[in-house]
Amino acid sequence: MQLLRTYILPRIAQWAVVIFVGVTVTFLIPRFSPVNPIDDMISRMTAFQTIDPQAVVAMRANMEDLYGLDGSLLDQYIAFWRRLLAGDLGPSFQNFPAPVSEIIGAGLPWTVGLLTTTTLISWLLGIFVGSLVGYFQHQTWAQVLERLVIVIYPTPYLITALILLIVFAFYIPLFPMVGGAQGSPALTWNYISSILRFGFLPAMSIVIGGFAFRFIMAKALSTTEIASDYVQYAELAAVPKRRIVMSYVIRNTMLPHVNDLALSLGAMFEGALIVEVMFGYPGLGSKLFTAIGTSDYNIIMGITLLSIVGIATGSLIVDLLYPVFDPRVRLR
Amino acid sequence: MGAIIETNNLRAYYITKAYGVERTVKAVDDITLRIQEGEVYGIAGESGCGKSTLLRVLLNAYQPPLTVVGGEVIYNLDGERLNAADMTEEQNRDLRWRKLSYIPQGSMHVLNPVRRIRDSFHDFISAHRDVTKNESYAMTAEYLRDLGLPEKVMRSYPHQLSGGMRQRVTIALATILWPKLIFADEPTTALDVVVQRGVIQMLKDVQQKEGSTLVLITHDIGVHANLADRIAILYAGKLVEEAETRTILNEPKHPYTRYLIESLPNLDSREELMSIPGRPPALDRPPSGCRFHERCPLAQDICKTIEPELIQIAPRHFTACHVVEEELSHAQAV
Repeated sequence: MQLLRTYILPRIAQWAVVIFVGVTVTFLIPRFSPVNPIDDMISRMTAFQTIDPQAVVAMRANMEDLYGLDGSLLDQYIAFWRRLLAGDLGPSFQNFPAPVSEIIGAGLPWTVGLLTTTTLISWLLGIFVGSLVGYFQHQTWAQVLERLVIVIYPTPYLITALILLIVFAFYIPLFPMVGGAQGSPALTWNYISSILRFGFLPAMSIVIGGFAFRFIMAKALSTTEIASDYVQYAELAAVPKRRIVMSYVIRNTMLPHVNDLALSLGAMFEGALIVEVMFGYPGLGSKLFTAIGTSDYNIIMGITLLSIVGIATGSLIVDLLYPVFDPRVRLR
Repeated sequence: MGAIIETNNLRAYYITKAYGVERTVKAVDDITLRIQEGEVYGIAGESGCGKSTLLRVLLNAYQPPLTVVGGEVIYNLDGERLNAADMTEEQNRDLRWRKLSYIPQGSMHVLNPVRRIRDSFHDFISAHRDVTKNESYAMTAEYLRDLGLPEKVMRSYPHQLSGGMRQRVTIALATILWPKLIFADEPTTALDVVVQRGVIQMLKDVQQKEGSTLVLITHDIGVHANLADRIAILYAGKLVEEAETRTILNEPKHPYTRYLIESLPNLDSREELMSIPGRPPALDRPPSGCRFHERCPLAQDICKTIEPELIQIAPRHFTACHVVEEELSHAQAV
């Protein structure tokens, strides 16, 4: 219980503070922006027709009320928190009156599905292959593989995505170009297989980049690890190489990897913006992209809030899980 | 009983090449040893004299830049005569831990920090025996009990143990499969004196239980005096004297050995202790002739040019020194 009082509870309090500060900053930043979405909208409406000035004033008051932009900054702030805690993120400005939570909710499963799978695959693959290459770094296959990854690593993933799209959707039309699935949502093989087919290329472009990054990290970490006394000693004792790679090299480099995984999973709610836009994937990234283009504050804020909570929670979980991965982690 | 391991004119050099400049460090130069089955053989010498290099070669576990450029290492294990240079990787792995084993220098860090002690034991046992986890746990528990280690270390992680305990666990880990030939590299260095005593006792127990051969490498003559049957003195990659422990301690012949023994504290005398003048030579350009001549008070002209041979001066007592050789021929002439 000592642990609970001196470590776990303060850590959870810290998590709450991070979220509070994040939400406050998210609230303030758009309000300091010179663009006022209501002015924007009214000027668009009045651009091609004349409207009675009194009607415009009434409309403005109406909209300010709707969007939570009336009253002083403090009033707005309090109202903002009240609505937030009730799970109400307000309406979308552009797709009025659809609530933001509904729009985010529609994009969320796509993004979460795509990113959980790709993050886990690239994480596991990167650690495993990277550590193997680090361990067998004098073998030819390892050196070839490493050079290959070093070429892939600095390639921005929008270029990888573009290449995949051109080759496998245009010239060799194996995969569809745009969309998330075909047909109406149902638990049928047709629908599920179409999700896999539509998701394959976006997934590949994320996996390749993520794999390369983790590969290089795992290789660097395992290179220091194989020089350690305990790996050298186990090798001298002819402990099987498989055991050394798994229980000695990888096991001892897990901390930074777990950290990276939790933060990547937390960052998932931002969506994979570029890939989603490029493949017309109906996830959060596409929504965020449209929202930024049309200054749809509520949606931007909704997605930002989600990713703040995601990242804060991710690092909270890592901190609480550290002792599981390294027995040397002890409370001082 | 015959020699369990022997070397014949063994030369092992570190050969490095950088920007076309070749550098050769003669860490082990022309060493011939016969280590008898069942004995405790001590190898002594100051830092940088080639002790650990010799051990690497004896273990047949060396990688470039360390290269054996001449001579051979031969194992006589269970009636089988094996030349280390001819052994395949497979044979080498087979031999380790079952027949020959190694207690490393700085045992503090040789245990995997994220694995419980019993799992490290399982890794090492299962590498050579077909055992289940529970069988190796049982083997470990029994062995630790035999050696007087508390049972609770089984479930501990290395960082939870004291330095002395970690060293003892490492000795147990190295000898769990009862190897015939055990190499120990500075097993007591970095431990305080009280703990040292326990570790020495444990090494003795392990060695005596199965009559294994123990090759003990340390700069600490006190440890040798406690454990070793015979001692070899190494200086700058050369074997300068070899004799039974008692002989080395009471009648050292080689000037270097004499210095070593005189530098030990003595209970009876209150004199200031002498240290050896000068410093050990760099092994990439060793002195000509006798490698000790620059620091030797007895050095003569011959010592500067001609390398002394290792000669027998008494039964089981060998030394390589021109001065001793001369004295001996005088004594015989008289």
